[in-house]
Amino acid sequence: MTHLWERLLDAKSRLAPVQSKYRVLFEDPSQPDAPAAVLVPDPNWMAAALAGGILPPIDTYLRDRDVPDGQPKEHPYAEPIGAMTEEEAIEYLIMKDIPPHIWRDYNGNRSIMRIVPVELIPSDRSFRNAWKVNQETEMAA
Amino acid sequence: MSTLNVSNITDGTTTVGTSYVVNGSAKAWCNFNGTGTIAIQDSLNVSSLTDDGTGTYQSLMTNSMAAANYVAFGGGDVNNANNDLRRNVRLFRIETGLVKIACGINANSDTKEDWTNVYTSAFGDLA
Repeated sequence: MTHLWERLLDAKSRLAPVQSKYRVLFEDPSQPDAPAAVLVPDPNWMAAALAGGILPPIDTYLRDRDVPDGQPKEHPYAEPIGAMTEEEAIEYLIMKDIPPHIWRDYNGNRSIMRIVPVELIPSDRSFRNAWKVNQETEMAA
Repeated sequence: MSTLNVSNITDGTTTVGTSYVVNGSAKAWCNFNGTGTIAIQDSLNVSSLTDDGTGTYQSLMTNSMAAANYVAFGGGDVNNANNDLRRNVRLFRIETGLVKIACGINANSDTKEDWTNVYTSAFGDLA
């Protein structure tokens, strides 16, 4: 089996990038003064997720979080998984790229994470450092 | 996909070891527009970007680096009429698969701003 990086190189050479129609809005409860962050899926990564046979299982990334620095990691050598839908790919990306204390461990009353269509993200960046997840209308404010 | 297993590469006059090519290649890179709803323009080995606020972003890798002693390198421009030479970008290696990017107004201020073009890369050993 090839290394993950070799599969990524191969995928980039043969797959057209896919711009996702989704973004993930989230707040970090450990940084209450920080503005809401916006996660943007990479188009080449999304193409690989939709094609299948390239990305490793998400649980390999979760286990690798606990691997000490410099020790061998599991995800580059894991057997790749099959094709995902765009929605499944976004859920995978949340677990991979957003800290677990936001998507898994948070028990508060505020809604701190939303998957939203890209058109709901403000393109006007006025007051960017004061953005919060809107609690009433389920969109960015 | 097939594998070419060689020790050296030559153009007929100059010969270099393949280890120079492998070790000297960027293992991840990204070119993105940091204004508006930020957009990735091209990349390699990047799974997502996070827009954390004005001039502050994170780049996350699909295949992480082996250890946190890799090199993260970047640049960019604002694409306006101001003196871009005074602007600077800082990259911080937060984890083996995560680089934080801060785009500043100038070298004498902590004030950040959104840049039209931001370029990042990572060199070192892959996990």
